[in-house]
Amino acid sequence: MGRLTSGRAGKKFLAVTGLFAMGVMLLLPIFVALPALAGGGAPAAGGPPPDVVAAQEAEGAEGEEAKVEIGRDVYYKTEGPVVGAPAPKTQDTAEFYPRYNFESRVLLWVANQQHLYYGSFVLAVPIFCMCIEFAGLLSKDKAMAKKYDQLAYDFIKISLTAYSLTAILGGILIFTFLTLYPAFFGYLSSIFRPVMHIYALMFVAESGTLYIYYYGWDKMKEGLLKWLHASMSVVLNVIGTVLMFLANSWIGFMMSPAGVDEQGRYLGNIWHVIHTALWNPLNVHRILGNMAFGGGVVAAYAAYRFLSAKNDEERAHYDWMGYIAMALGVAFLIPLPFAGYWLMREVYAYRQQMGITLMGGLLAWLFIIQATMIGILFLTTNYYLWQALGRMTGGERFQRYIKYFVFILVVGLLVFITPHTIVMTPAELKAMGGQQHPVLGNYGVMSAKNGGINAIIMTTIASFIWYQRGNRVPAVKWAKFGNIFLITFFVVAHLNNIWVACYGYFIPANVRIGLSVPQVAGTLSCLFFGSALNLAMLKQSRELGPIRWGQIAPRSQYALIMLATAFTWMMGLMGYIRSSVRLFWHVNEIMRDNSPWAYTHTIGFGANVISFNVLFFWITIMFVFWLGALGAKKAPVPATQPVPGAAPQPATGH
Amino acid sequence: MVELLTEAISIGWPAFAFLIGLLFYFQAKATDPVQKKNVTFKTFIGMLCALMAFIAIANYKNNFYGESRLLPVSLVMITCLAYIMGIYFTNIGALMKIGGFMFFVAAALSGYGNWLPQVEGGFPPPEVKLDFQSMTAQQLGDEGEKIIFGGLGQSKVQGAIGKGQCPLCHGFNQGFLSERAPNLWDVPARAEERLKHEKYHMNDPGSRDTVQKEAFEGSGTATTGQEYIAESHACPSCFVVPGFGVKGTNDKESPMPRIHKPPISLTLGELAAVDTWLYVREGKDAPTYEEIQASYEKFIPEADRPQASADGDEAAAGGVLATGEEPITDLFMKAGCPACHTIPGIEGATGKVGPLLMEGSNAPKRLKDPGYGGHATSAREYITESILNPSMYVVKDFPDNQMPKDFGLKLSAGAVNKIVDYLSSLKEGQDLPSLEDFN
Repeated sequence: MGRLTSGRAGKKFLAVTGLFAMGVMLLLPIFVALPALAGGGAPAAGGPPPDVVAAQEAEGAEGEEAKVEIGRDVYYKTEGPVVGAPAPKTQDTAEFYPRYNFESRVLLWVANQQHLYYGSFVLAVPIFCMCIEFAGLLSKDKAMAKKYDQLAYDFIKISLTAYSLTAILGGILIFTFLTLYPAFFGYLSSIFRPVMHIYALMFVAESGTLYIYYYGWDKMKEGLLKWLHASMSVVLNVIGTVLMFLANSWIGFMMSPAGVDEQGRYLGNIWHVIHTALWNPLNVHRILGNMAFGGGVVAAYAAYRFLSAKNDEERAHYDWMGYIAMALGVAFLIPLPFAGYWLMREVYAYRQQMGITLMGGLLAWLFIIQATMIGILFLTTNYYLWQALGRMTGGERFQRYIKYFVFILVVGLLVFITPHTIVMTPAELKAMGGQQHPVLGNYGVMSAKNGGINAIIMTTIASFIWYQRGNRVPAVKWAKFGNIFLITFFVVAHLNNIWVACYGYFIPANVRIGLSVPQVAGTLSCLFFGSALNLAMLKQSRELGPIRWGQIAPRSQYALIMLATAFTWMMGLMGYIRSSVRLFWHVNEIMRDNSPWAYTHTIGFGANVISFNVLFFWITIMFVFWLGALGAKKAPVPATQPVPGAAPQPATGH
Repeated sequence: MVELLTEAISIGWPAFAFLIGLLFYFQAKATDPVQKKNVTFKTFIGMLCALMAFIAIANYKNNFYGESRLLPVSLVMITCLAYIMGIYFTNIGALMKIGGFMFFVAAALSGYGNWLPQVEGGFPPPEVKLDFQSMTAQQLGDEGEKIIFGGLGQSKVQGAIGKGQCPLCHGFNQGFLSERAPNLWDVPARAEERLKHEKYHMNDPGSRDTVQKEAFEGSGTATTGQEYIAESHACPSCFVVPGFGVKGTNDKESPMPRIHKPPISLTLGELAAVDTWLYVREGKDAPTYEEIQASYEKFIPEADRPQASADGDEAAAGGVLATGEEPITDLFMKAGCPACHTIPGIEGATGKVGPLLMEGSNAPKRLKDPGYGGHATSAREYITESILNPSMYVVKDFPDNQMPKDFGLKLSAGAVNKIVDYLSSLKEGQDLPSLEDFN
């Protein structure tokens, strides 16, 4: 017995040591990168990076008179030694823009978008897995813990096949760049040379961790090993996030270059190149966007499995899976507009013209589409939650209020999508008598539009609180007071929102901008305080009946599919807007686009390509889902192991 | 519709042949009458759906670059067929319904995008070398108006904008509410007043409470109205008009870019034109070209002055003959087509070296010519192919290798599209199209 125990301890020790070694190996690229980054950051503090110092010393040895040319950073305004070549001045020739018999820009657009869709998906899903696995670990209810663990496994299984496709699409993207835009890609590569190998190594680390995480699921299912397994998901997500940040630095550089002089010559400080004016807002925006998108894709998968389920057990499982994925997606959708505001604010701070081109110029109509999309997403979420009340005993008591919520949502949406300033032709301007419509021009100011979206978000939060209360009634002593307080809180937040929205019409635009603060504060208070208060009240609650998982109208699943499709479309749209705002610059103000496609397409053309991208993605991801299901069917199932992917019993709570 | 059906059948004939074959197979194989009826019915449904799918594809193919507002029709058709399939083929019902629903959502969004007013961003303006120095004040002013508003007389058109991009933020007319940046009406007179502003600190830049105290070290401050205008262009943050600073900086920093730097990069000559317009439009005497030059030279060091004939300018134009922005007649002239072709409706286009370009009627005939070996499947594609790759099909009785083969490099995509639009509208026996529709 003693030998057996010591044998187990030895195995555990070996396992832990092995895992530690693996962690070190996987994180090695980060450590390798650190000196380069630290060195790269040095010039701002007063000196060039080591490689430049070495070069200078070498030159000094050859002759003291040899001088290193000093350039001035276009963004940071610091000085640094010129160590790169200027941005190429391209011409519309085969040397700079080789082409097939098709618009190169559209080909690159499609390749980029597909890679981005898959990249977002495979980066978002491990974050879900991490959350769900930890939820399972921390759950005291063993049945629930098992159910969460199974769900996390189901999630990662979906992303695994997609992961290979992401890598393939990444390769296609690079080949597309190299074949159609060699000069441009060559220039960007020369600028990002110090971190390109790190990017590649991080990708290797991501792959390694993901495969060990997936294939080690059953081996590491208990005790300390389970904790180590869950911790591995943290490592996986850290690597994934760093990867995404590095990828974002390229687009950040293209929009708001830094670390180079006016000719585009690299000044030896890679941190400046990465840490551009828009990098951080882009990072935050993309993390949230990826999560919302990932939630949408998994929810669509669950909806598909629900609609094609052969029995009640399957239906119950995929109903639950769809709900969790939707909830996670929406949880990240709610802060997304705020991250968007931050990004726009930084865009305006970086270049006012860029902001105006986006919000009041050439691309303004696209933001009207975006506003409509956001409205659709929230409306659909509410619709799903109202449908979901149908599977709860007691949920029917909320049904009669839905019409009021619909009213608020529709009015909020109409206000939100009303434009104030729009781009028009001279003839249209003449016909209208000015840049603003004589009647509609009085509407659509920013504070009112903010009021519209905030009303929509607050109503969504209220719907969610309803949903949480669907089959439960608070039983805490202060329940009555809590209810009155909660209702008053929401009513006051709405009144504040409406008042501020109207007040905006009576003050100048530059003062009006500040009104978004009290509006957003009200909404966030509802989100955090309202939800927390509701949960506290439900700590002691009377259950009216079980949640009947699977007993939900099939149309609710179409709401999930709608969410997924709309997320996908909106991602395509926002990516197009972000990229188009550079107009005829490959790298804003540094490298000019002299290809025949240096103009901005019409909205209709953009919408068609976005739809193509969306449908292409969904056709391929359906194939991925089918492949995943094929693998699951053929997987050997050990008799003593729980069946992966098997439908757990419907839970009685959540 | 007949054309669409023909196109659909020409694309999808193997699928139809397969389905017909399947129909015969089921007729021969099925013995149970109920089963026979069932499979026959399903095969017909399949054929109907296949027809819808290929009509949708044909519609998409024909209208991709043309009537893009018709494209959502394809998606709606695919939605319908997906639902029909979903209803009758229950084993793949969920997949088809979901697919159909996604197509419907995408179709609706595409339709929305096409329904909104269509705005296309033009090409960057080609660089034109002008001799500003030898211009009169009025000529300089006219050039200034073009730089600010994009064209002569455009200053009266709201929303007009030129290379200088000034109207994005500044108002220019009396009484116009200018929220982003000061209204520039009466700026020559107001410039003198600004010098006396308590925050301006004339001749004492060190006392300025701004992020940048001087345009460059030792440049000093403006001492005349014109110098003030030059300084505010070259160093917007040297003095910020109260209320117009970057938000949160307490008017210590201006949101305006330095006008001689990218993205605007006006040369000193162009700046002289802009400033001259500010004076002459109000009926005031403008400083001379040399005086304006001197005012800018005070605030822009020599190394920072953009040159009109810099290396990149020719590259910027990219050697492109036409961008597509030109009126259609100018476009043909620039491309040189009239030298060899007769083009109905284009004055002077009476060339006889190449064929008559009545392409609305010619192109469909050429496509049906057994000798045609190109890749085009529609009239538009044929015309595009003839421009980009003239040897792909040579019209009978005309010599090959006469037409240049590098129009793909010499004409922008917009220019080619515009030419194709015009030529495809020329049909025998029909009225000539209005040239204004193509300007």
